[in-house]
Amino acid sequence: MEKKEYAKLHETLYQETLPNGLQVTLLPKNDFHKIYGLFTTNYGSIDNEFVPLGANEFVHVPDGVAHFLEHKMFEKETVDVFQIFGKQGASANAFTSFTRTSYLFSSTNHVNENLQTLLDFVQQPYFTEATVTKEKGIIAQEIQMYQDDPNWRLFFGILGNLYPQHPLSIDIAGTVESINQITAQDLYTCYHTFYHPSNMNLFVVGDISPMQIMELISNNQASKSFAPYQEIRRRFSGDTRKIRTKSQISMEINRPKTLVGIKGADTLPERGIDLLRYQIAANLLFQMLFGNTSRNYLRLYDQGLLDDSFGYEFNLDREFHFADFGGDTSDPDRLAGELIDILLSAEKSSEITERNLELLKKKMIGKHLQALNSLEYIANQFSQMQFGSVTLFDRMEIIENIQLSDCLSVAKQLIHSEAISRFTLLPNIKE
Amino acid sequence: MSAYLLTEGVQVHYLPTTQYKTIQIMVRFTSLLKKDTITKRTLLSSLLETNSLHYPNQLLLSEKLADLYGASFGVDINKKGNYHLLTLSVNLVNGNYLENQPAVFEEAVDFIHEILFFPYIEKNAFHSATFDREKENLLDYLASVNEDKQLYAALKLQEILFSESPAQKTPSFGTIEDLQKETASSIGAYYQEMLLKDQVDIFVIGDIVPENINKLLQKLKFQPRAPLLNEIFYPSKTGNVIFEKVEEQPIVQSKLNLGYHTNIYFYQKDYFPFLVFNGIFGGFPHSKLFTNVREKQSMAYYASSSIDTFRGVMTVQTGIDGKNREKVLRLVAEQLQAIQTGEITKDELQQTKAMLKNQYLLSMDNPNAQLEKKYVEVVYPDSKISLETWCKRIDEVSEKQVQDIAAQVQLAAVYFLEGGEA
Repeated sequence: MEKKEYAKLHETLYQETLPNGLQVTLLPKNDFHKIYGLFTTNYGSIDNEFVPLGANEFVHVPDGVAHFLEHKMFEKETVDVFQIFGKQGASANAFTSFTRTSYLFSSTNHVNENLQTLLDFVQQPYFTEATVTKEKGIIAQEIQMYQDDPNWRLFFGILGNLYPQHPLSIDIAGTVESINQITAQDLYTCYHTFYHPSNMNLFVVGDISPMQIMELISNNQASKSFAPYQEIRRRFSGDTRKIRTKSQISMEINRPKTLVGIKGADTLPERGIDLLRYQIAANLLFQMLFGNTSRNYLRLYDQGLLDDSFGYEFNLDREFHFADFGGDTSDPDRLAGELIDILLSAEKSSEITERNLELLKKKMIGKHLQALNSLEYIANQFSQMQFGSVTLFDRMEIIENIQLSDCLSVAKQLIHSEAISRFTLLPNIKE
Repeated sequence: MSAYLLTEGVQVHYLPTTQYKTIQIMVRFTSLLKKDTITKRTLLSSLLETNSLHYPNQLLLSEKLADLYGASFGVDINKKGNYHLLTLSVNLVNGNYLENQPAVFEEAVDFIHEILFFPYIEKNAFHSATFDREKENLLDYLASVNEDKQLYAALKLQEILFSESPAQKTPSFGTIEDLQKETASSIGAYYQEMLLKDQVDIFVIGDIVPENINKLLQKLKFQPRAPLLNEIFYPSKTGNVIFEKVEEQPIVQSKLNLGYHTNIYFYQKDYFPFLVFNGIFGGFPHSKLFTNVREKQSMAYYASSSIDTFRGVMTVQTGIDGKNREKVLRLVAEQLQAIQTGEITKDELQQTKAMLKNQYLLSMDNPNAQLEKKYVEVVYPDSKISLETWCKRIDEVSEKQVQDIAAQVQLAAVYFLEGGEA
């Protein structure tokens, strides 16, 4: 077990990769009451085409399988996992993103039992045609509920434009049609391929003793047998470079909403530390251009083109990166036009100055430290494992070292007019 | 030291802890909940949050916050029983974690002083351009509330459940009708009234030494005022009538919400049995509503219950397929009936108690939850009990007591938002 001290932050990490490939990270926080365990597979909604474990040919599974599987993991032949956790005073949950599926418990006691339960329920699948069929109604309801959420529609609207032939544009839960095709066999195929310990990580944070917990995890894993490790091969068969520059739909809302998106088509750095630098520089760049300390923001706000709902985010993940900007607006065409102009002239922008960068670095460091109050945030960040051996606790130093030239080179690399699209949600016309 | 009187009616409360890398400061103004001031206070909270005399535009204000190492700042509105709360919060990094340990806290107090005592007011009226825009934004927000269908349904239920009280049936953030009446001077005048008359409580949580902070906080020059004496509880009016309302909208998922009178109040008679009852009925994923209505019958996407012990009510919220309305109504009633007749397993009872204790302990890892708990202890001191006592009270709850609660809650309102063709 490796011990890593972060003196400035007063934090100590314990890490080990077990013989079966599972990566375990422990973070004792003994003045907290809570223990939070997060068990994550590097598998999400976009992984719909791959070579199954023990096979040679690619298969394509219906959209929404990863999320469906997540739901079904909680049901076992005789027991309900929520109830087991409940009896042990823990609450459990799970979530599926584009590239990850995570299972978690949080509790204030019975840590050993809860941790065993977490490992065991995720590592003992039980799917039957009957239980799969029954779940379809519940998931269809969930999909429909998201259809009523304007911001969800807006986000998937821009993704649909940026990635029309890529699974990123499909709702994480799939569609009502796609989930109806899911079989128990599909779930097993995905499970065996992606839930192999070598494709997973476990993070435990809170009031724990690291030696004792590592021993428990390691014994639990040693008692189980898994198929030999096989590298996972994934692919996307559509033309993933395609982009739709503009589209709109209408629904039951009061104010129009618009998003401008940039699809990342540049080649990203390979080393974890450089990739994280890129991500931080991109965030600082967009904050300089559009953040609430920018003159752009103030001007557009004063013109009534945007309000507090305005936001922007830069998403960088396995296989893709994109940025989106926008919110509610009285004039979607004008707002989108303004945003695109600002983006395309970013390199020459008067917002990109040493003074602004220093101010925003200060802000970013402060926000980072604030976020570290949350054990959930810490665990979720660690479970992403995006930057190799570089972790959340190395961020502060990287932020301090970002230069204006880093931000400018991201602008040059990432922002091109052919990578930009816009999507608008309009209110239904009232009769 | 855990409390310090700044002046009459203005008290400081300290919560020293090493858990966090931040220090959070909360300044709360408490007044009686009144229909004609709810909207004023909401608009005032937006104005205070937007700018101030020396930071006259948002850019300057945002720069100041960025310079305070990205301090989070907000002014919120909330209600609790008979009280309406306007709360200023600042969350900042503890300077000890930063290079050269800058005096972030001291600067934050100066910032709070600026916001509270120097709003952007000229000749007793708020700066007109700021006022117009914030009013417009609030109008947009109030109009957009009905886009969040779960919130919309909850507000509609509140409206019929508290139809007898104009203040209680109004959303905590006000109404469009009331907002339209307000002007830059009416809110300027209300600001003065609030600043002079509201009860003020200041809370500080983090790795702090209270003695060192007292002096810094004296910079906040509040005038003495009378503390609020009215009781926090609003006793909901019970009767035998069940109010019902149905609305139709072009949405995919229908919402069915139910309201009950409980006559049970925060830390008063039956409070602990009620917590256990709600946990068994609909407060958790293992509860009867979730397992029986959603999981076993696949009748709802969500089904849960929540309680408001400052107003003596419980609500049930479900998202369903519109055609299942009657069936879901029956299923919910059956779950209540089951508890009443003692269909409670040992597991259910034990699990619910474990979850409640877990939840309580978890709240001690969250600065906001700790601040809220402290606030209720200030306004309702009977709620100040030790962790051990709290857990003991939960453990003592018997099955019989839970059954009695189920018999006692009384359905009073049903709201159905029916989805049509989307």
